[in-house]
Amino acid sequence: MTGFWQALRALARLKPNQRLTRDYLASLALAVLLAFAVGAAVMLLCGHDPLASYAALFDGALGRPRAIGNTLAKTVTLCLTGLAMSLAAKAGVFNVGGEGQLYLGAMAAAVVGARLDASAWVVTLASLAAAMLAGGLYAFLPGVMKVRWKVDEVITTIMLNSVAIYFCSYLANGPLKTAERGIATGTDSILPQAAFSSLIPLSNLTTAVFYAAAAALVIWYLMSRSRVGFEMKLTGENDRFARYGGISTGRLMLWAMVMSGAVCGLVGMLEIFGLHKRFLTTVSSEFYFDGMLVAMIMRYQPLGVILMSFFFAALDIGGKSMELSAGVSSELILIVQSIIIFFMAAEGGVRKALGERALRRAGRRRA
Amino acid sequence: MGEIFNVLLLQNTLRTATPVVLAALGCLLTQHVNITNIGIEGMMLIGSFFAVLGSYLFSSWAAGLAFAMGAGLLLGLMYYVLVIRFQSDEFIIGVALNIFAGGLTVFLLRTLFGVRGSFSGPGIDPLPQIVLPGLEAVPVLGDLLSGNTLLVYVSWLLVPLLWAFIYRTPAGFHLRAAGEYPDALTACGKSPDRMKCLASVGCGILSALAGAHLSLGYLLMFSENMSASRGYVAFACVIFGRGNPPLVFLAALLFGFISALGLRMQRYVPSDITAMAPYAVTVVMMAVTVLWGRRRKASKGC
Amino acid sequence: MSEATEIIRFERVSKQYPGVLANDCVSLSVRQGEVFALVGENGAGKSTLMNLLYGLQAPTSGEIFIKGRKTGPQHSPQAAMRMGVSMVHQHFKLVPGFTVAQNVLLGMEPRRGPFYDQRRAQERVRELSEEYGLKVNPSDVARDLSVGLQQRVEILKALRTGADVLVLDEPTAVLTPQETEELFEVIRRVVARRGMTVILITHKLPEVMRVSDRVGVMRRGRLERVLETAQTSEREIASLMVGREVLFDELRTAQPAGETVLEVSSLRAYNDRMLPALRGVSLSVRAGEIVGVCGVEGNGQTELAECVAGMRAPSGGQVRLSGRDVTGQSPRAIRRAGLSYIPEDRMSMGMDAKASVWENLLLGKQRDGAFCLGGIHLRRGRVRRYAKELSRAYDIRLSDVDEPAGALSGGNMQKVVVAREFSFDSPALLVCQPTRGVDIGATEFIHRHILQKRNQGCAVLLISADLDELFRLSDRLVTLFEGEVTGCFDAGSISREEIGYYMTGNREVKAP
Repeated sequence: MTGFWQALRALARLKPNQRLTRDYLASLALAVLLAFAVGAAVMLLCGHDPLASYAALFDGALGRPRAIGNTLAKTVTLCLTGLAMSLAAKAGVFNVGGEGQLYLGAMAAAVVGARLDASAWVVTLASLAAAMLAGGLYAFLPGVMKVRWKVDEVITTIMLNSVAIYFCSYLANGPLKTAERGIATGTDSILPQAAFSSLIPLSNLTTAVFYAAAAALVIWYLMSRSRVGFEMKLTGENDRFARYGGISTGRLMLWAMVMSGAVCGLVGMLEIFGLHKRFLTTVSSEFYFDGMLVAMIMRYQPLGVILMSFFFAALDIGGKSMELSAGVSSELILIVQSIIIFFMAAEGGVRKALGERALRRAGRRRA
Repeated sequence: MGEIFNVLLLQNTLRTATPVVLAALGCLLTQHVNITNIGIEGMMLIGSFFAVLGSYLFSSWAAGLAFAMGAGLLLGLMYYVLVIRFQSDEFIIGVALNIFAGGLTVFLLRTLFGVRGSFSGPGIDPLPQIVLPGLEAVPVLGDLLSGNTLLVYVSWLLVPLLWAFIYRTPAGFHLRAAGEYPDALTACGKSPDRMKCLASVGCGILSALAGAHLSLGYLLMFSENMSASRGYVAFACVIFGRGNPPLVFLAALLFGFISALGLRMQRYVPSDITAMAPYAVTVVMMAVTVLWGRRRKASKGC
Repeated sequence: MSEATEIIRFERVSKQYPGVLANDCVSLSVRQGEVFALVGENGAGKSTLMNLLYGLQAPTSGEIFIKGRKTGPQHSPQAAMRMGVSMVHQHFKLVPGFTVAQNVLLGMEPRRGPFYDQRRAQERVRELSEEYGLKVNPSDVARDLSVGLQQRVEILKALRTGADVLVLDEPTAVLTPQETEELFEVIRRVVARRGMTVILITHKLPEVMRVSDRVGVMRRGRLERVLETAQTSEREIASLMVGREVLFDELRTAQPAGETVLEVSSLRAYNDRMLPALRGVSLSVRAGEIVGVCGVEGNGQTELAECVAGMRAPSGGQVRLSGRDVTGQSPRAIRRAGLSYIPEDRMSMGMDAKASVWENLLLGKQRDGAFCLGGIHLRRGRVRRYAKELSRAYDIRLSDVDEPAGALSGGNMQKVVVAREFSFDSPALLVCQPTRGVDIGATEFIHRHILQKRNQGCAVLLISADLDELFRLSDRLVTLFEGEVTGCFDAGSISREEIGYYMTGNREVKAP
């Protein structure tokens, strides 16, 4: 039976990786190339022209102002969700429940945005606060369970995703369903003046990007330049050492989780106020998981996460237009992305294996 | 109340529980070698797609199962290579595998069948329903135990078989030793990695079968993301059952019961709330299991 | 012993670790049927040499012969076992949840059909245990056994394939005197009855004298000399082991001890396995004195340190620091109350190997105004400069303070811990195994700093498994046995032999 508790502890053992070294970035470039090659091979198999498809992808992502706008809007989502994951992971807790926190944040923002009777600015800020509060509180629950009772947070947060999504769906279909005609599911629309205004016509890019940039800046500072970031880093890398050195590791982990949830709530709010203008059950399609992967590939380093989000966003947006113009299913991009992740997760092991082989060969040569 | 609590409820319980049972049995193998495999979600999804594919192409359920098992075997091998050989973070690989599965199945759905969302058709051959002669006539038991699809019986058989394997055979010992104290195994010339490979491949196959039961058992279709977090639920069941097959089986049955109950309560409670129930219950049970385990440990010490 | 044939030979074997030459051109031959003791201080290279023999690591250069056959580049524990060499490691390799029989026969279980044949397995283990006179109960679960019994299981496991050479790595480190006595019985029996060869790694000289035929003395990776036990003395071996007597006495100023700073009274605690580890320990340390805690490892030293430092919650008793009750408070509160702590487990508690040296040196001061603006902004430039100064002052050899601490050598790692903890100027110091795995130069350096702290009026509680270290540094000595204090002495008034007597459970008779 002890094997079992050990296995549970193995989950807790998941610790953030080292820093981004030059070698690692070189591997990343290689992994991206390899993943694209696999993608091209799949396209060939399905009878598409890879070069034309990739050209369409590039054009769809960055070819026109509108495309750039959409890519940037997507970057905002990916980057904030990625940073949310990094915030928690830095302190050694894994928040896999960002999706649920995002939904609850979106719902809270939509409710406040529709119900609050005040000037536009007040409504925007109040919704923002409500969304962050909702997301943060929802992350507090698994956080407390983890810190107080040592209940593994990975599974609880995954389960709480489904709970939150169904709960929001219940609200949007039931008690909070709008009376507006022509809307099948969804809440009342928010105060129109409070919504973010578009920056590039016809694109999804809105003034939300400024809020996101501010949030990203704060998170970057917090994680890489502040005292709390230092304490979080040590807690995440070696919590025994951190506790020994006088850091209140439990409290820090809990706060990291809550902050992570608040950022996810913020993403929900940005989606509502930027795009949908009311809560819809389709507010997110596993956005958080995409962000999580970006964070993992970039080893939870804020700057890396920001850059990588742009790359993944370009792939995502470009993929959609590739589907329209070249006829290649956009899910191919998901495959390419996950291959990059497989490669990067295995990076250390592959490098070690290659190194050992080189050593053995050198040894044999000497002998 | 009679409308809710009747034989049909129990039948639905078995039906909903079976994929979770199969996936959980797979997951407990990896758990015993100390791998936390949350990729079973993706393994299930890919399994259910390939089951439909095989069944459709050859108009035979057996081909469907073979396809699913083949895909599961490959996934298990891939998982082993990435996690054990290349020492990748099992959690990252698990999450990536789930995303990969989502992308791959939808991509194939569109490229091979040219449809979005879901695929169903008369060409898909369902899993056979097995009628147990004699039992069939018994009033309640007959309804419950007879006439289920093949994989339901397979899952029932697997519970005692896996139990015996893990706790009563030398190979099972080595499996557990590989998880509990791999050095001990290495010291006597056995390779823990081989046991880990066996466990991941077993897990891949069983998870894929769980997926096959989803798509060929009752619904006869594949739809996007049709595993719907059942893989994670299976993982939770393994934790409740502490890796002991009979206990894991009971945990999965409990999950099935709550789901089935929720489904039948829909007339009284909004469907979203009933759909939420199993997941909420899982969270509560996680907490209870851990607290319980801690109390037991504490009382043992004193 | 005449006409003895050689069974194992090392020829100019060297093993280079990054930064450390663990074995330096060792040539040695072991005869069939003898008990060969390999002695040396911590880090002298004894275990490394045996790991090479057992195929756990490959030598950098040189050759090893077992029964005249050279070991290949693919040498492995399996190969060694096939050649008749078995090793019992200091850390047992038992599966905790398995029974004795399952553990002993792991990998070669008797079967009936596809199943494990429990009855035959138990019979086989019973036979083995009778054959070698190692009494065990085959159906006990390994986790529940005492350390001595676990070792017995481990030895049975090593003997199950009929090995000719048995290597025992520090087998008595965790044993009680009775268990040690029984182990020696076993060694004598297998040598006499079955003509086995036993290689015993140890640093306890009385044991060497009692049980071995020949002794090899290692120091700093080199084999100093091989002696016939009958023709040598403990004193000769000791001087070969240490090489030279290190004199610290000039550093040590006689000074009256001040007020009591650290006071532990009837402290009780459980270990990780929820068994009682401390059963009412009381001791006190005054300003300007070093109190050394001696004891065979595993008698509650770890738990004592952790309870004092707040890393483990005591189940009873009291810890007072500078007059304040700090029992069960957080490590942070206890640090604030004035305790610095060098933990025994450097890698998992004393430092974050992945973090940079400056981060490791900063921990504990990150809220200081000097390093942190308004409690928020970390002044990294200043911290780096401070880390550079500190590394210079403590002679930490590094290329850059941004280097990960895990890349340093053992001695330098320990200096990082010492530098950090000593820079707090706390009135009380808790020092555990300060020189374990540290080279001699760094050891001297660390010892000098500890003495300096004492001379400055610090109250030092020193926990160590190294008697030399304890005698060198301590003003008073306390012996710990099975979680109880068995005696308390002035360092000048007691010999090592006497201390050994108390460390093994005999009690000081106190006048009422």
